[in-house]
Amino acid sequence: MPGSGNGAILTLEKVCRSFGGLMAVNYASLSVRKGELRALIGPNGAGKTTLLNLITGIHTATAGRILFKGEDITRLSPDRISHRGISRTLQITSLFSGLTVYENIWAAAQSRKRFFNPFARPERWADVREKTEEILELTGLVGKAETVCSELSYGDQRILEMGVALSTDPELLLLDEPTAGLSTQESMALVKRMRAMLRGQTIVLVEHDMGVVMELSDRLTVLHYGEVLAEGTPAEIMANDEVRKVYLGK
Amino acid sequence: MASNLAVAVLNGIVWGLIMALIALGLNLIFGLLHIINMAHGALYMLGAVFSWYVIELTGNYWLALFVAPLAVGLIGLALERGLLRTIEDQPLVTIICTFGIMLVLQQLVLTYFGGTARRIALPIPGRFPLFDLQYPLMRIVIAAISVAVMGGLWFFLNRTRYGLWVRAVVQDREMAVALGIPVHKVYMWTFVLGSVLAAFSGVLAAPIVSVDFMMGREILIMAFIIVIVGGMGNLWGSVVTAVVISLIHGVGSIFVVPSTATVFSLGFMILVLLVRPQGLFGE
Amino acid sequence: MLLDRWKGGAFPLAFGLLMAVLAAVPFFAGLFYQTFLTEILVWALFAISFDLIFGYTGLLSFGQALFFGLGGYAVAIPVLKLGLGTGAGLLLSVAVPAVFAAFVGFFSVRLTGIHFVIITIIFALIGSTVGETWTSLTGGADGLVFMAPPLDLGVAKLDLMDIRITYYLVLAVVALSFLFLRRMVRSPLGKVFVAIRENEERARLIGYDVRRYKLLAFVIAGGLSGLAGGLYSLSLKYASATFLHWSVSGHAVVYTIVGGAGTLLGPVIGAGLIMSLEHYLVKLLQATDLVVGAVLVSTLLLAPRGIVGFLRGRRK
Repeated sequence: MPGSGNGAILTLEKVCRSFGGLMAVNYASLSVRKGELRALIGPNGAGKTTLLNLITGIHTATAGRILFKGEDITRLSPDRISHRGISRTLQITSLFSGLTVYENIWAAAQSRKRFFNPFARPERWADVREKTEEILELTGLVGKAETVCSELSYGDQRILEMGVALSTDPELLLLDEPTAGLSTQESMALVKRMRAMLRGQTIVLVEHDMGVVMELSDRLTVLHYGEVLAEGTPAEIMANDEVRKVYLGK
Repeated sequence: MASNLAVAVLNGIVWGLIMALIALGLNLIFGLLHIINMAHGALYMLGAVFSWYVIELTGNYWLALFVAPLAVGLIGLALERGLLRTIEDQPLVTIICTFGIMLVLQQLVLTYFGGTARRIALPIPGRFPLFDLQYPLMRIVIAAISVAVMGGLWFFLNRTRYGLWVRAVVQDREMAVALGIPVHKVYMWTFVLGSVLAAFSGVLAAPIVSVDFMMGREILIMAFIIVIVGGMGNLWGSVVTAVVISLIHGVGSIFVVPSTATVFSLGFMILVLLVRPQGLFGE
Repeated sequence: MLLDRWKGGAFPLAFGLLMAVLAAVPFFAGLFYQTFLTEILVWALFAISFDLIFGYTGLLSFGQALFFGLGGYAVAIPVLKLGLGTGAGLLLSVAVPAVFAAFVGFFSVRLTGIHFVIITIIFALIGSTVGETWTSLTGGADGLVFMAPPLDLGVAKLDLMDIRITYYLVLAVVALSFLFLRRMVRSPLGKVFVAIRENEERARLIGYDVRRYKLLAFVIAGGLSGLAGGLYSLSLKYASATFLHWSVSGHAVVYTIVGGAGTLLGPVIGAGLIMSLEHYLVKLLQATDLVVGAVLVSTLLLAPRGIVGFLRGRRK
């Protein structure tokens, strides 16, 4: 049952979001425990990405509350939410395409500093440099550090985006269809890389690839027409009749 | 006083209808091709300048009304095919490029037409008794022609196959491609159409204002404001906004100095941009 | 990154050399060239201030003329009507436009794309309309002619009626401004601007208050545009409302695009090249803007990264 105080790091309470007349998210409530890997699944248009947008402040909920570590973040802007400890990758890769891999990670790694001094030399910021190199290692893209992002392969871009998201030391990481557009081989490589990169952060994963979902997640939440249809362990969800109906046809 | 007001209202409506044509052309180009055409004012100016030449040569305003927009349409065709096609998908680049085209067109006219403003003799002199006044007949004719052109545009967009294609591409470009609509041709001819409308405005405006190479510069900003306030892609919005703004400015100028009216209407634009950037009538 | 470090070594040398050459100009070139170079330097400053918001932060403003013109008046009006000194005038030429830029920017940075372009033009249009009609203050389009009192630096008094001294003053101020901007764009703050240009949404998601940084860039650019305008009116002993018109912003746009946006060096080269081109062409045809427009369009279609961008691309 939703509610904070039981180790829940993220709680959505009856969250709604409408666009014009359309209810993209319809009284959705869910609760994610610290350290959990929660997969968010559902047919296209079920509201999964909208839900992530609500959590990260790209959209504001028209009703309901979103709590992170017990605090209400419903109306915060995306940059404030980032500072609270939430990071995100997007369905369509969102990176600094004209910048190199190194510069992409650096941009995220330096985001916690203050920029009052226009004469500061970035070379003097050893802590940012260390963080950048650490993330670079994690992503396995050290050899491509000077490659411009737009010249990377699609799979590498997905990995880089995850690295960028991790550069701000988030406690909660939202991943929006990380394997979208990847071949099976590339998906496997990505998942392997993901396992190496993740260090016990709480994760909400939106995915269509059921193989990945089953392999990685602790619990599943199924969305349908913006509502939470079901929630449970992978086994429970697979056995759930309503879920089967939604997925395997009416 | 009342007659002053009445004249101002009528003038405002007439000028508003002329501006509506320019704005419609800009709206088509922006709504469909997402091209921010900073040369649009120059196309309006070219319409007026070409009409001056036609009248110099033939003395026939009605011929000018036919020839000038065609000529400008050809120029629009050359611009779209030759220059804009490769950068159409980059909005900021397009803005700057069309700014450059504006400079070139203005300066070409400066070179061959000269820097002094010229007037066109009224092809229809005389006044028409309207309400209590004697209102210039020419202006009434201009308003009528403008409405006729708008009617023609409506007919084109809603009753012809080509117009259907245009509306389809605006709605959903990928679907239009999938349906076999020649999207590139639609783009090209839409740009031509927009140019033709701008030129029409120029020909219609020529008897009222003087023709000079800079006449498009102020019109350009007004046209953008009308399109944005009226709602990009909303053609009726442009017509209504054009007339309303023109009326406000014209009537306002009776009570306050024109520059004050200008500043206030500009301030109003800023408000609309900030509060409702999709335009008063946009979605 | 490697290239940056290499350039870090070469830059002081190249810059020093250029400064030496420019400082030597009054010794082997006549008054006309000194005046001409002064003018180029002023517009180069205007262009690099534009490059900060456009080339580095991705904000296309066609309204920077507002700050340029204000800078000119920030010198002319206090000197002419309040009897203030030239030094105070120069300081005001940075401060007053910066304050206006804060006001304009506060509203404008809420918008993006074409809306941002339009709103900056509208603000400039309001400025030029007010400037042209408030003739008692601004002299309207005819402008204000004023005598610039000697600039009191404490250790020396610079007589600005001397073309050579004006040239050196402008050279020093523009060079310092260039160095200032160069340091800034290489600093972590500069990297934030670039990130915003590359992908606003991603910048927001990693924790940058994008609006605030855009406003900061806008204010700095406004201040430097004002400084350019102030230097210009000082060199001409004249300020006019025509410099407030939005089309004057076009100069900055052209020089930056042709020279290469996002390079700082590009706008300087663009200013020098285009202005020299105009100077030599004007003997042939009155409509030099025709060539300028053609060069602009050609650059966008053939070498969109400008001269410097093109050359740097080839080196890699």
